[in-house]
Amino acid sequence: MSISQLCQWLQDTPWGTGIRESTWVFPIIEGTHAIGIAFSVGILLIMDLRLAGVLLRREPVSQVSNQLMPWSLGGFVIMFITGILLFWSQAMKAYGSIFFRIKLVLLVLAAINALAFELTLRRNIVTWDTAEKPPFRARLAGILGIILWAGVIAAGRTMAYNF
Amino acid sequence: MQTLLPFFKWCDGTAVGQAIRDSRFLFPIIESLHLFALTVLLGTVLVLNLRLLGAGMPKQPLPLVARALAPLTFWSLLAMLITGFLLFCSEALKCYDNPPFLVKMVVLFVAIVFHWVVFRPTVNAPAEPGGPRRIATAAGSIFLWFGVAVAGRAIGFY
Repeated sequence: MSISQLCQWLQDTPWGTGIRESTWVFPIIEGTHAIGIAFSVGILLIMDLRLAGVLLRREPVSQVSNQLMPWSLGGFVIMFITGILLFWSQAMKAYGSIFFRIKLVLLVLAAINALAFELTLRRNIVTWDTAEKPPFRARLAGILGIILWAGVIAAGRTMAYNF
Repeated sequence: MQTLLPFFKWCDGTAVGQAIRDSRFLFPIIESLHLFALTVLLGTVLVLNLRLLGAGMPKQPLPLVARALAPLTFWSLLAMLITGFLLFCSEALKCYDNPPFLVKMVVLFVAIVFHWVVFRPTVNAPAEPGGPRRIATAAGSIFLWFGVAVAGRAIGFY
């Protein structure tokens, strides 16, 4: 089964059809997806700005992270669940959209950026936790995070258009 | 509402509105900027409200978090108002007949007034406010700002 056949099958399932054709379910899922973005990305941006040395410079990075990231991760869970439901209901449209593909690539890059941070810089955070201006690589991780997530949001919104 | 119709017509006829309508790319680009600014705005509002409720950043004093986030709230709101006005100009007459748009404008006005008249004095107060006032302020702030976002999305569904 090719990917396009899989997408077609997915959106023809009762769930896919049901979400797509409902008056209220689709907008409610989409609205929840947007609220999920506010929690996940909105809160993550504050963390990224701390990493970049822009916001809350006198507060230890680990404190900002430990206190905010659980909320952000909760938002990510909501965003992923609703995102999968939205994809389910219009898989073929997403499959044919260049912006959906761009969005997936940016999501992977954002995940790699976050993973690289967790596996390297985060491991020796004690050495730079209180730095008002974190080391170059930490600032880079923060700025990359902001750019990548801005791209995810833009690509996600632009999926609605056919150029 | 009728008295406002000339204003909607004027906006619809501006050169910027026309240019955005005529371009295939301008509307999505401005809309993406609008959404990113919204994410930043809601992020600052959420973090500050979580702190107000004692659920996020409890190790930092409330006024410190409030001071740190205030510029970001302000600039993201300004970016939203500018990009929002540009989007509006490109389809002002459509907005005139769009109930979610009118709801959004009213809620936005209330949200901004609430933010500067009730919310900011509460979070900037040297002594942390009592429980009921904290909960009421946070609930009002979250309800209003998310209401603006939801009503904004509904414009396209109507």
